[in-house]
Amino acid sequence: MSGADTDLPLFQQYQLAFTAHIRHPRLHARPEGVPAKRMRVYNEIVFNNLQSAVGACYPVLQRVLGKRAWQALLRRFFAEHQANSPFFRDIPKAFLAFLPQVETLPPYAVSLAHYEWVELAIASADTVTPMLTAEGDLVQGIPIVAPALAVLAYDYPVQKISVRFKPRQALAEPVHLLVFRNQQDEVKFVEMNAMTARLLELLQPGELTGLAALQQLGMEMGHADSTSLITFGAALLEDLRQQDIVWGVAV
Amino acid sequence: MGQAQSHHPIKGAGLGLKRELLPQIQAAYGTSLTAHLDFVEIAPENWIGAGGKYAKQLAWFTERYPIVCHGLCLSLGGPDPLNEDFLRQVKQFLDQHQIPLYTEHLSYCSDGGYLYDLLPIPFTEEAVHHVARRIRRTQEILERRIAVENASFYVASPIAEMDEASFIRAVLQEADCDLHLDINNIYVNSVNFGFDPHAFLREMPGERIVYAHIAGHDHETEDLIIDTHGQDVIDPVWQLLREAYELFGVFPTLLERDTNIPPLADAMHEVNKIAGLQAAQQGIARQQPADAVSRKRASA
Ligand SMILES: [Fe+2]
Repeated sequence: MSGADTDLPLFQQYQLAFTAHIRHPRLHARPEGVPAKRMRVYNEIVFNNLQSAVGACYPVLQRVLGKRAWQALLRRFFAEHQANSPFFRDIPKAFLAFLPQVETLPPYAVSLAHYEWVELAIASADTVTPMLTAEGDLVQGIPIVAPALAVLAYDYPVQKISVRFKPRQALAEPVHLLVFRNQQDEVKFVEMNAMTARLLELLQPGELTGLAALQQLGMEMGHADSTSLITFGAALLEDLRQQDIVWGVAV
Repeated sequence: MGQAQSHHPIKGAGLGLKRELLPQIQAAYGTSLTAHLDFVEIAPENWIGAGGKYAKQLAWFTERYPIVCHGLCLSLGGPDPLNEDFLRQVKQFLDQHQIPLYTEHLSYCSDGGYLYDLLPIPFTEEAVHHVARRIRRTQEILERRIAVENASFYVASPIAEMDEASFIRAVLQEADCDLHLDINNIYVNSVNFGFDPHAFLREMPGERIVYAHIAGHDHETEDLIIDTHGQDVIDPVWQLLREAYELFGVFPTLLERDTNIPPLADAMHEVNKIAGLQAAQQGIARQQPADAVSRKRASA
Protein backbone atom coordinates (compact mmCIF):
# COMPACT_ATOMS: atom_id res chain seq x y z
CA MET A 1 0.00 0.00 0.00
CA SER A 2 2.97 2.34 0.14
CA GLY A 3 2.88 2.94 -3.58
CA ALA A 4 6.28 1.32 -4.04
CA ASP A 5 5.03 -1.25 -6.55
CA THR A 6 6.70 0.07 -9.67
CA ASP A 7 5.02 -2.47 -11.97
CA LEU A 8 1.86 -0.44 -11.62
CA PRO A 9 1.09 2.52 -13.87
CA LEU A 10 2.16 5.80 -12.32
CA PHE A 11 -1.40 6.97 -11.66
CA GLN A 12 -2.10 3.84 -9.62
CA GLN A 13 1.10 4.18 -7.64
CA TYR A 14 -0.04 7.69 -6.85
CA GLN A 15 -3.56 6.53 -5.91
CA LEU A 16 -2.19 3.88 -3.55
CA ALA A 17 0.21 6.34 -1.94
CA PHE A 18 -2.73 8.72 -1.52
CA THR A 19 -4.91 6.17 0.30
CA ALA A 20 -1.97 4.74 2.28
CA HIS A 21 -1.50 8.22 3.70
CA ILE A 22 -5.22 8.60 4.43
CA ARG A 23 -5.28 5.27 6.25
CA HIS A 24 -2.12 5.84 8.25
CA PRO A 25 -0.82 9.41 7.99
CA ARG A 26 2.07 8.87 10.42
CA LEU A 27 3.39 5.77 8.68
CA HIS A 28 2.99 6.95 5.08
CA ALA A 29 3.86 10.45 3.95
CA ARG A 30 1.44 12.16 1.59
CA PRO A 31 2.37 11.88 -2.10
CA GLU A 32 4.95 14.37 -3.24
CA GLY A 33 3.53 17.61 -4.60
CA VAL A 34 0.24 17.38 -2.71
CA PRO A 35 -0.42 20.42 -0.50
CA ALA A 36 -0.74 19.53 3.18
CA LYS A 37 -3.82 21.65 3.74
CA ARG A 38 -5.80 19.93 0.97
CA MET A 39 -4.55 16.47 1.90
CA ARG A 40 -5.84 17.04 5.40
CA VAL A 41 -9.37 17.47 4.02
CA TYR A 42 -9.30 13.86 2.82
CA ASN A 43 -7.65 12.59 6.00
CA GLU A 44 -10.53 14.08 7.95
CA ILE A 45 -13.57 13.36 5.79
CA VAL A 46 -12.70 9.76 5.01
CA PHE A 47 -12.00 8.89 8.63
CA ASN A 48 -15.01 10.84 9.91
CA ASN A 49 -17.31 9.05 7.49
CA LEU A 50 -16.05 5.69 8.65
CA GLN A 51 -16.30 6.80 12.23
CA SER A 52 -19.94 7.75 11.89
CA ALA A 53 -20.78 4.56 9.97
CA VAL A 54 -19.29 2.42 12.75
CA GLY A 55 -20.28 4.67 15.64
CA ALA A 56 -23.97 4.65 14.73
CA CYS A 57 -24.03 0.89 15.34
CA TYR A 58 -22.09 0.85 18.61
CA PRO A 59 -23.32 3.66 20.88
CA VAL A 60 -22.80 1.70 24.11
CA LEU A 61 -19.37 0.28 23.30
CA GLN A 62 -18.31 3.75 22.25
CA ARG A 63 -19.33 5.29 25.56
CA VAL A 64 -18.00 2.45 27.68
CA LEU A 65 -14.56 2.65 26.08
CA GLY A 66 -14.40 6.43 26.25
CA LYS A 67 -13.62 8.86 23.48
CA ARG A 68 -9.86 8.37 23.27
CA ALA A 69 -9.85 4.57 23.31
CA TRP A 70 -12.70 4.56 20.80
CA GLN A 71 -10.85 6.86 18.41
CA ALA A 72 -7.67 4.83 18.72
CA LEU A 73 -9.60 1.64 18.04
CA LEU A 74 -11.21 3.10 14.93
CA ARG A 75 -7.87 4.45 13.75
CA ARG A 76 -6.39 0.99 14.00
CA PHE A 77 -9.40 -0.57 12.25
CA PHE A 78 -9.11 1.93 9.45
CA ALA A 79 -5.35 1.46 9.07
CA GLU A 80 -5.35 -2.34 9.20
CA HIS A 81 -8.68 -3.58 7.93
CA GLN A 82 -9.35 -4.28 4.26
CA ALA A 83 -13.11 -3.96 3.91
CA ASN A 84 -14.30 -6.24 1.12
CA SER A 85 -17.98 -5.33 0.90
CA PRO A 86 -19.37 -2.35 -1.02
CA PHE A 87 -22.50 -2.36 1.16
CA PHE A 88 -22.57 0.24 3.91
CA ARG A 89 -24.35 -1.94 6.42
CA ASP A 90 -21.40 -4.34 6.26
CA ILE A 91 -19.05 -1.72 7.74
CA PRO A 92 -20.18 -2.40 11.34
CA LYS A 93 -19.98 -6.13 10.63
CA ALA A 94 -16.38 -5.81 9.45
CA PHE A 95 -15.61 -3.84 12.61
CA LEU A 96 -17.11 -6.64 14.69
CA ALA A 97 -14.94 -9.19 12.89
CA PHE A 98 -11.87 -7.04 13.55
CA LEU A 99 -12.40 -6.67 17.32
CA PRO A 100 -11.23 -10.11 18.57
CA GLN A 101 -7.66 -9.40 17.43
CA VAL A 102 -7.44 -6.29 19.62
CA GLU A 103 -5.73 -7.39 22.85
CA THR A 104 -6.33 -4.21 24.81
CA LEU A 105 -10.13 -4.34 25.00
CA PRO A 106 -12.07 -5.18 28.17
CA PRO A 107 -13.15 -8.86 28.18
CA TYR A 108 -16.84 -8.09 27.59
CA ALA A 109 -16.21 -5.81 24.57
CA VAL A 110 -16.67 -8.38 21.82
CA SER A 111 -19.90 -9.72 23.37
CA LEU A 112 -21.23 -6.20 23.82
CA ALA A 113 -20.33 -5.28 20.25
CA HIS A 114 -22.07 -8.39 18.95
CA TYR A 115 -25.16 -7.55 20.98
CA GLU A 116 -25.23 -4.05 19.49
CA TRP A 117 -24.55 -5.23 15.95
CA VAL A 118 -27.25 -7.89 16.01
CA GLU A 119 -29.96 -5.24 16.24
CA LEU A 120 -28.89 -3.86 12.87
CA ALA A 121 -28.54 -7.36 11.43
CA ILE A 122 -32.03 -8.40 12.50
CA ALA A 123 -33.61 -5.09 11.45
CA SER A 124 -32.28 -5.43 7.89
CA ALA A 125 -32.25 -9.22 7.47
CA ASP A 126 -33.72 -10.10 4.10
CA THR A 127 -36.09 -12.91 5.05
CA VAL A 128 -38.91 -14.87 3.51
CA THR A 129 -41.99 -15.57 5.62
CA PRO A 130 -43.25 -19.16 5.14
CA MET A 131 -46.95 -19.77 4.51
CA LEU A 132 -48.69 -19.88 7.86
CA THR A 133 -51.96 -19.50 9.65
CA ALA A 134 -51.92 -17.23 12.68
CA GLU A 135 -54.43 -19.40 14.54
CA GLY A 136 -53.73 -23.10 14.73
CA ASP A 137 -52.54 -25.73 17.14
CA LEU A 138 -48.96 -25.06 18.18
CA VAL A 139 -48.50 -28.56 19.61
CA GLN A 140 -49.87 -30.64 16.74
CA GLY A 141 -48.79 -28.22 14.00
CA ILE A 142 -45.37 -26.88 13.01
CA PRO A 143 -44.89 -23.53 14.79
CA ILE A 144 -43.40 -20.83 12.60
CA VAL A 145 -41.11 -18.45 14.47
CA ALA A 146 -40.31 -14.90 13.34
CA PRO A 147 -38.10 -15.32 10.26
CA ALA A 148 -35.62 -12.69 11.45
CA LEU A 149 -34.64 -14.15 14.79
CA ALA A 150 -31.44 -15.02 16.64
CA VAL A 151 -31.09 -17.04 19.83
CA LEU A 152 -27.99 -15.77 21.59
CA ALA A 153 -25.97 -16.66 24.65
CA TYR A 154 -23.40 -14.29 26.13
CA ASP A 155 -20.85 -14.79 28.88
CA TYR A 156 -21.45 -11.23 30.03
CA PRO A 157 -24.72 -9.45 30.89
CA VAL A 158 -24.45 -7.39 27.71
CA GLN A 159 -27.95 -5.99 28.02
CA LYS A 160 -26.99 -4.25 31.28
CA ILE A 161 -23.58 -2.86 30.35
CA SER A 162 -23.25 0.92 30.57
CA VAL A 163 -20.71 3.52 31.60
CA ARG A 164 -21.73 2.84 35.19
CA PHE A 165 -21.80 -0.95 34.89
CA LYS A 166 -18.74 -2.60 33.40
CA PRO A 167 -18.67 -6.27 34.44
CA ARG A 168 -15.35 -7.45 35.78
CA GLN A 169 -15.89 -11.14 35.23
CA ALA A 170 -17.90 -13.52 33.16
CA LEU A 171 -21.27 -14.83 34.39
CA ALA A 172 -21.39 -18.25 36.02
CA GLU A 173 -24.17 -19.17 33.59
CA PRO A 174 -24.46 -17.45 30.21
CA VAL A 175 -27.35 -15.04 29.68
CA HIS A 176 -29.79 -16.15 26.96
CA LEU A 177 -31.17 -13.40 24.79
CA LEU A 178 -33.59 -13.61 21.97
CA VAL A 179 -33.59 -10.88 19.36
CA PHE A 180 -36.24 -10.89 16.68
CA ARG A 181 -38.24 -8.72 14.30
CA ASN A 182 -41.96 -8.72 15.01
CA GLN A 183 -44.69 -8.46 12.40
CA GLN A 184 -44.55 -4.66 12.64
CA ASP A 185 -40.85 -4.88 11.66
CA GLU A 186 -39.73 -3.69 15.09
CA VAL A 187 -36.65 -5.32 16.62
CA LYS A 188 -37.30 -6.74 20.09
CA PHE A 189 -34.97 -8.20 22.71
CA VAL A 190 -36.21 -10.77 25.22
CA GLU A 191 -34.21 -12.34 28.04
CA MET A 192 -35.14 -15.98 28.51
CA ASN A 193 -34.13 -19.16 30.27
CA ALA A 194 -31.96 -21.83 28.68
CA MET A 195 -34.92 -24.13 28.06
CA THR A 196 -36.97 -21.60 26.10
CA ALA A 197 -33.87 -20.64 24.16
CA ARG A 198 -33.29 -24.28 23.23
CA LEU A 199 -36.94 -24.75 22.26
CA LEU A 200 -36.69 -21.80 19.88
CA GLU A 201 -33.52 -23.22 18.37
CA LEU A 202 -35.36 -26.46 17.72
CA LEU A 203 -38.31 -24.64 16.15
CA GLN A 204 -36.32 -22.18 14.06
CA PRO A 205 -35.78 -24.42 11.01
CA GLY A 206 -39.60 -24.81 10.78
CA GLU A 207 -39.46 -28.60 10.50
CA LEU A 208 -40.62 -29.93 13.87
CA THR A 209 -44.14 -29.94 15.24
CA GLY A 210 -44.52 -28.35 18.65
CA LEU A 211 -44.93 -31.84 20.10
CA ALA A 212 -41.78 -33.22 18.44
CA ALA A 213 -39.76 -30.20 19.59
CA LEU A 214 -41.01 -30.58 23.17
CA GLN A 215 -40.27 -34.30 23.19
CA GLN A 216 -36.78 -33.64 21.89
CA LEU A 217 -36.31 -31.00 24.56
CA GLY A 218 -37.57 -33.44 27.26
CA MET A 219 -35.06 -36.01 26.09
CA GLU A 220 -32.17 -33.57 26.11
CA MET A 221 -33.10 -32.45 29.62
CA GLY A 222 -33.54 -36.02 30.84
CA HIS A 223 -37.12 -35.13 31.73
CA ALA A 224 -39.06 -38.25 32.73
CA ASP A 225 -42.64 -36.92 32.91
CA SER A 226 -43.42 -36.03 29.31
CA THR A 227 -47.13 -35.28 30.00
CA SER A 228 -46.37 -32.39 32.34
CA LEU A 229 -43.65 -31.13 30.00
CA ILE A 230 -46.11 -31.03 27.12
CA THR A 231 -48.78 -29.26 29.16
CA PHE A 232 -46.18 -26.74 30.25
CA GLY A 233 -44.74 -26.53 26.73
CA ALA A 234 -48.15 -25.85 25.16
CA ALA A 235 -48.59 -22.86 27.48
CA LEU A 236 -45.07 -21.68 26.68
CA LEU A 237 -45.73 -21.84 22.93
CA GLU A 238 -48.94 -19.82 23.40
CA ASP A 239 -46.97 -17.27 25.36
CA LEU A 240 -44.41 -17.04 22.53
CA ARG A 241 -47.29 -16.45 20.10
CA GLN A 242 -48.60 -13.64 22.33
CA GLN A 243 -45.17 -12.02 22.17
CA ASP A 244 -45.12 -12.24 18.36
CA ILE A 245 -42.10 -14.56 18.53
CA VAL A 246 -44.14 -17.44 17.12
CA TRP A 247 -46.22 -16.14 14.22
CA GLY A 248 -48.48 -19.16 13.71
CA VAL A 249 -48.54 -22.65 12.29
CA ALA A 250 -47.21 -23.81 8.93
CA VAL A 251 -49.84 -24.56 6.27
CA MET B 1 -48.67 3.89 -12.18
CA GLY B 2 -46.52 0.86 -11.40
CA GLN B 3 -47.43 -0.52 -14.80
CA ALA B 4 -46.39 2.49 -16.82
CA GLN B 5 -43.20 2.80 -14.87
CA SER B 6 -41.04 0.34 -16.78
CA HIS B 7 -41.51 2.50 -19.87
CA HIS B 8 -41.22 5.67 -17.88
CA PRO B 9 -37.99 7.47 -18.62
CA ILE B 10 -36.70 9.61 -15.80
CA LYS B 11 -37.78 13.20 -16.31
CA GLY B 12 -38.39 16.42 -14.44
CA ALA B 13 -37.13 17.12 -10.93
CA GLY B 14 -36.14 14.67 -8.21
CA LEU B 15 -34.90 14.33 -4.68
CA GLY B 16 -32.31 12.02 -3.09
CA LEU B 17 -34.07 9.53 -0.83
CA LYS B 18 -32.51 10.05 2.58
CA ARG B 19 -33.82 7.98 5.49
CA GLU B 20 -34.78 11.17 7.37
CA LEU B 21 -36.92 12.44 4.50
CA LEU B 22 -38.53 9.16 3.61
CA PRO B 23 -41.45 9.12 6.09
CA GLN B 24 -42.13 12.79 5.31
CA ILE B 25 -42.42 12.05 1.60
CA GLN B 26 -44.75 9.15 2.34
CA ALA B 27 -46.91 11.39 4.52
CA ALA B 28 -46.99 14.18 1.91
CA TYR B 29 -47.67 11.87 -1.04
CA GLY B 30 -50.50 13.17 -3.21
CA THR B 31 -50.47 16.62 -1.59
CA SER B 32 -49.37 19.87 -3.23
CA LEU B 33 -46.11 19.71 -1.29
CA THR B 34 -44.79 16.87 -3.46
CA ALA B 35 -46.62 17.81 -6.66
CA HIS B 36 -43.35 18.55 -8.48
CA LEU B 37 -41.48 15.52 -7.23
CA ASP B 38 -41.11 13.45 -10.40
CA PHE B 39 -38.59 10.82 -9.27
CA VAL B 40 -36.30 9.81 -6.43
CA GLU B 41 -32.73 8.59 -6.30
CA ILE B 42 -31.22 5.86 -4.13
CA ALA B 43 -27.76 4.43 -3.53
CA PRO B 44 -27.81 0.71 -4.39
CA GLU B 45 -25.19 0.15 -1.68
CA ASN B 46 -27.84 1.08 0.89
CA TRP B 47 -30.78 -0.88 -0.46
CA ILE B 48 -29.61 -4.08 -2.13
CA GLY B 49 -30.32 -7.02 0.15
CA ALA B 50 -32.09 -4.96 2.80
CA GLY B 51 -35.19 -6.66 4.20
CA GLY B 52 -37.79 -5.79 6.81
CA LYS B 53 -39.01 -2.23 6.95
CA TYR B 54 -36.39 -1.18 4.38
CA ALA B 55 -37.76 -3.58 1.78
CA LYS B 56 -41.27 -2.29 2.46
CA GLN B 57 -40.18 1.33 2.16
CA LEU B 58 -38.45 0.58 -1.12
CA ALA B 59 -41.54 -1.20 -2.44
CA TRP B 60 -43.66 1.81 -1.47
CA PHE B 61 -41.46 4.08 -3.57
CA THR B 62 -41.02 1.77 -6.56
CA GLU B 63 -44.80 1.54 -6.82
CA ARG B 64 -45.17 5.32 -6.92
CA TYR B 65 -42.03 6.92 -8.32
CA PRO B 66 -39.53 6.29 -11.06
CA ILE B 67 -36.19 5.53 -9.40
CA VAL B 68 -32.61 6.36 -10.29
CA CYS B 69 -29.73 4.35 -8.84
CA HIS B 70 -26.69 6.46 -8.04
CA GLY B 71 -23.83 4.22 -6.94
CA LEU B 72 -21.08 5.13 -4.51
CA CYS B 73 -18.72 2.17 -4.24
CA LEU B 74 -18.09 0.82 -7.72
CA SER B 75 -14.69 2.51 -7.70
CA LEU B 76 -14.55 3.01 -11.47
CA GLY B 77 -11.15 4.66 -11.11
CA GLY B 78 -9.79 2.24 -8.52
CA PRO B 79 -6.74 -0.02 -8.65
CA ASP B 80 -8.62 -3.18 -7.58
CA PRO B 81 -10.31 -5.53 -10.01
CA LEU B 82 -13.84 -4.35 -10.80
CA ASN B 83 -16.26 -5.98 -8.34
CA GLU B 84 -18.25 -8.00 -10.84
CA ASP B 85 -20.17 -9.98 -8.21
CA PHE B 86 -21.45 -6.68 -6.89
CA LEU B 87 -22.33 -5.54 -10.42
CA ARG B 88 -24.38 -8.68 -10.98
CA GLN B 89 -26.27 -7.88 -7.80
CA VAL B 90 -26.81 -4.35 -9.10
CA LYS B 91 -28.16 -5.75 -12.35
CA GLN B 92 -30.58 -8.02 -10.56
CA PHE B 93 -31.69 -5.09 -8.39
CA LEU B 94 -32.22 -2.77 -11.39
CA ASP B 95 -34.22 -5.46 -13.18
CA GLN B 96 -36.27 -6.41 -10.15
CA HIS B 97 -37.31 -2.83 -9.43
CA GLN B 98 -37.42 -1.72 -13.07
CA ILE B 99 -34.91 1.03 -12.46
CA PRO B 100 -34.05 2.65 -15.80
CA LEU B 101 -30.89 4.56 -14.87
CA TYR B 102 -27.69 3.68 -13.01
CA THR B 103 -24.96 6.25 -12.58
CA GLU B 104 -21.57 6.23 -10.85
CA HIS B 105 -18.79 8.63 -9.99
CA LEU B 106 -15.67 9.43 -11.92
CA SER B 107 -13.58 8.66 -8.83
CA TYR B 108 -12.19 5.76 -6.81
CA CYS B 109 -13.02 4.45 -3.35
CA SER B 110 -10.87 1.37 -2.83
CA ASP B 111 -7.22 0.38 -2.49
CA GLY B 112 -7.46 -3.34 -1.85
CA GLY B 113 -10.28 -2.60 0.61
CA TYR B 114 -13.14 -0.13 0.47
CA LEU B 115 -12.72 3.36 1.90
CA TYR B 116 -16.37 4.31 1.26
CA ASP B 117 -15.50 7.77 0.04
CA LEU B 118 -14.92 9.47 -3.30
CA LEU B 119 -11.25 10.00 -4.09
CA PRO B 120 -9.74 11.80 -7.09
CA ILE B 121 -8.41 10.00 -10.15
CA PRO B 122 -5.23 11.55 -11.56
CA PHE B 123 -6.02 12.92 -15.02
CA THR B 124 -3.57 10.86 -17.05
CA GLU B 125 -3.71 9.09 -20.38
CA GLU B 126 -3.35 5.68 -18.70
CA ALA B 127 -6.12 6.53 -16.26
CA VAL B 128 -8.44 7.37 -19.17
CA HIS B 129 -7.94 3.90 -20.65
CA HIS B 130 -8.27 2.20 -17.27
CA VAL B 131 -11.52 3.93 -16.35
CA ALA B 132 -13.00 3.61 -19.84
CA ARG B 133 -12.28 -0.13 -19.86
CA ARG B 134 -14.05 -0.54 -16.54
CA ILE B 135 -17.07 1.49 -17.66
CA ARG B 136 -17.34 -0.67 -20.77
CA ARG B 137 -17.18 -3.82 -18.67
CA THR B 138 -19.83 -2.39 -16.33
CA GLN B 139 -22.12 -1.63 -19.25
CA GLU B 140 -21.55 -5.16 -20.54
CA ILE B 141 -22.53 -6.78 -17.24
CA LEU B 142 -25.49 -4.48 -16.65
CA GLU B 143 -26.55 -4.81 -20.30
CA ARG B 144 -27.27 -1.09 -20.48
CA ARG B 145 -25.54 2.24 -20.82
CA ILE B 146 -24.54 3.91 -17.62
CA ALA B 147 -23.87 7.56 -16.90
CA VAL B 148 -20.78 8.71 -15.02
CA GLU B 149 -20.68 11.81 -12.90
CA ASN B 150 -18.05 14.52 -12.71
CA ALA B 151 -16.88 14.44 -9.07
CA SER B 152 -15.88 17.17 -6.66
CA PHE B 153 -12.45 17.03 -5.10
CA TYR B 154 -9.89 18.91 -3.03
CA VAL B 155 -6.51 17.80 -4.30
CA ALA B 156 -5.28 18.33 -7.85
CA SER B 157 -2.94 15.47 -8.60
CA PRO B 158 0.58 16.67 -9.35
CA ILE B 159 0.96 13.99 -12.06
CA ALA B 160 -2.01 15.17 -14.15
CA GLU B 161 -1.42 15.28 -17.91
CA MET B 162 -4.65 17.06 -18.81
CA ASP B 163 -7.37 19.19 -17.24
CA GLU B 164 -10.56 17.78 -15.76
CA ALA B 165 -12.82 18.66 -18.69
CA SER B 166 -10.47 16.95 -21.15
CA PHE B 167 -10.30 13.91 -18.89
CA ILE B 168 -14.08 13.65 -18.70
CA ARG B 169 -14.48 14.03 -22.46
CA ALA B 170 -11.79 11.43 -23.16
CA VAL B 171 -13.26 8.88 -20.75
CA LEU B 172 -16.83 9.29 -21.99
CA GLN B 173 -15.76 9.00 -25.59
CA GLU B 174 -13.55 5.97 -25.11
CA ALA B 175 -16.12 4.20 -22.90
CA ASP B 176 -19.06 5.38 -25.00
CA CYS B 177 -21.20 6.08 -21.97
CA ASP B 178 -23.48 8.90 -20.86
CA LEU B 179 -22.76 11.91 -18.71
CA HIS B 180 -24.30 12.54 -15.34
CA LEU B 181 -23.54 16.22 -14.95
CA ASP B 182 -23.17 17.51 -11.42
CA ILE B 183 -23.60 21.27 -11.61
CA ASN B 184 -22.55 21.86 -8.04
CA ASN B 185 -19.37 19.82 -8.51
CA ILE B 186 -18.37 22.08 -11.39
CA TYR B 187 -18.76 25.08 -9.12
CA VAL B 188 -16.98 23.42 -6.17
CA ASN B 189 -13.99 22.47 -8.32
CA SER B 190 -13.92 25.88 -9.99
CA VAL B 191 -13.35 27.44 -6.56
CA ASN B 192 -11.04 24.72 -5.28
CA PHE B 193 -8.83 24.86 -8.37
CA GLY B 194 -9.46 28.35 -9.67
CA PHE B 195 -11.06 27.88 -13.06
CA ASP B 196 -14.03 29.41 -14.87
CA PRO B 197 -17.11 27.21 -14.28
CA HIS B 198 -18.92 28.67 -17.30
CA ALA B 199 -16.09 27.77 -19.64
CA PHE B 200 -15.94 24.30 -18.08
CA LEU B 201 -19.67 23.81 -18.64
CA ARG B 202 -19.32 24.71 -22.31
CA GLU B 203 -16.62 22.06 -22.64
CA MET B 204 -18.95 19.28 -21.51
CA PRO B 205 -20.23 16.91 -24.22
CA GLY B 206 -23.85 18.06 -24.13
CA GLU B 207 -25.15 15.25 -26.33
CA ARG B 208 -24.18 12.72 -23.64
CA ILE B 209 -25.98 14.38 -20.71
CA VAL B 210 -28.85 12.23 -19.45
CA TYR B 211 -29.07 13.36 -15.85
CA ALA B 212 -27.92 16.11 -13.50
CA HIS B 213 -27.34 16.89 -9.83
CA ILE B 214 -27.55 20.15 -8.01
CA ALA B 215 -26.63 20.68 -4.35
CA GLY B 216 -25.37 23.03 -1.69
CA HIS B 217 -21.95 22.96 -0.05
CA ASP B 218 -19.84 24.48 2.73
CA HIS B 219 -17.58 27.32 1.73
CA GLU B 220 -14.74 26.86 4.24
CA THR B 221 -12.18 29.40 3.12
CA GLU B 222 -11.94 31.69 0.14
CA ASP B 223 -10.40 29.01 -2.07
CA LEU B 224 -11.82 25.85 -0.48
CA ILE B 225 -15.34 24.42 -0.69
CA ILE B 226 -16.22 21.18 1.07
CA ASP B 227 -18.92 19.39 -0.86
CA THR B 228 -21.14 18.45 2.07
CA HIS B 229 -24.53 18.63 0.32
CA GLY B 230 -25.53 20.20 3.59
CA GLN B 231 -26.68 23.73 2.65
CA ASP B 232 -29.13 25.42 0.35
CA VAL B 233 -28.08 25.67 -3.29
CA ILE B 234 -26.36 29.02 -3.86
CA ASP B 235 -27.30 31.47 -6.64
CA PRO B 236 -24.21 30.97 -8.82
CA VAL B 237 -25.00 27.23 -8.94
CA TRP B 238 -28.63 27.91 -9.89
CA GLN B 239 -27.27 30.21 -12.56
CA LEU B 240 -25.02 27.42 -13.88
CA LEU B 241 -27.98 25.06 -14.06
CA ARG B 242 -29.99 27.64 -16.01
CA GLU B 243 -27.03 28.06 -18.32
CA ALA B 244 -26.69 24.30 -18.80
CA TYR B 245 -30.37 24.07 -19.81
CA GLU B 246 -29.86 26.91 -22.28
CA LEU B 247 -26.78 25.27 -23.75
CA PHE B 248 -27.86 21.64 -23.85
CA GLY B 249 -31.62 21.58 -23.37
CA VAL B 250 -33.48 20.35 -20.28
CA PHE B 251 -32.43 17.09 -18.58
CA PRO B 252 -33.80 15.38 -15.46
CA THR B 253 -32.24 17.02 -12.43
CA LEU B 254 -32.03 15.96 -8.82
CA LEU B 255 -31.49 17.87 -5.60
CA GLU B 256 -28.87 16.17 -3.40
CA ARG B 257 -29.10 16.78 0.30
CA ASP B 258 -26.99 14.44 2.42
CA THR B 259 -26.18 16.24 5.66
CA ASN B 260 -27.93 18.83 7.80
CA ILE B 261 -31.20 17.54 6.33
CA PRO B 262 -33.95 20.17 6.43
CA PRO B 263 -37.70 19.53 6.71
CA LEU B 264 -39.18 18.18 3.47
CA ALA B 265 -40.88 21.52 2.73
CA ASP B 266 -37.47 23.22 2.50
CA ALA B 267 -36.02 20.52 0.26
CA MET B 268 -39.14 20.63 -1.93
CA HIS B 269 -38.75 24.38 -2.26
CA GLU B 270 -35.51 23.68 -4.13
CA VAL B 271 -36.96 20.77 -6.10
CA ASN B 272 -39.75 23.11 -7.19
CA LYS B 273 -37.16 25.63 -8.25
CA ILE B 274 -35.56 23.00 -10.51
CA ALA B 275 -38.98 22.29 -12.01
CA GLY B 276 -39.50 26.02 -12.51
CA LEU B 277 -36.21 26.42 -14.38
CA GLN B 278 -37.05 23.41 -16.54
CA ALA B 279 -40.50 24.77 -17.37
CA ALA B 280 -39.07 28.20 -18.14
CA GLN B 281 -36.45 26.72 -20.47
CA GLN B 282 -39.00 24.49 -22.16
CA GLY B 283 -41.25 27.51 -22.61
CA ILE B 284 -38.41 29.37 -24.33
CA ALA B 285 -37.57 26.32 -26.43
CA ARG B 286 -41.17 26.05 -27.64
CA GLN B 287 -41.08 29.66 -28.79
CA GLN B 288 -37.96 29.10 -30.84
CA PRO B 289 -37.88 27.20 -34.13
CA ALA B 290 -36.79 23.63 -33.44
CA ASP B 291 -33.67 23.85 -35.58
CA ALA B 292 -32.41 26.84 -33.61
CA VAL B 293 -32.45 24.72 -30.47
CA SER B 294 -30.74 21.76 -32.06
CA ARG B 295 -28.12 24.00 -33.58
CA LYS B 296 -27.44 25.35 -30.14
CA ARG B 297 -26.99 21.81 -28.81
CA ALA B 298 -24.73 20.84 -31.67
CA SER B 299 -22.50 23.84 -31.19
CA ALA B 300 -21.98 23.02 -27.51
FE1 LIG C 1 -23.69 14.42 -7.38
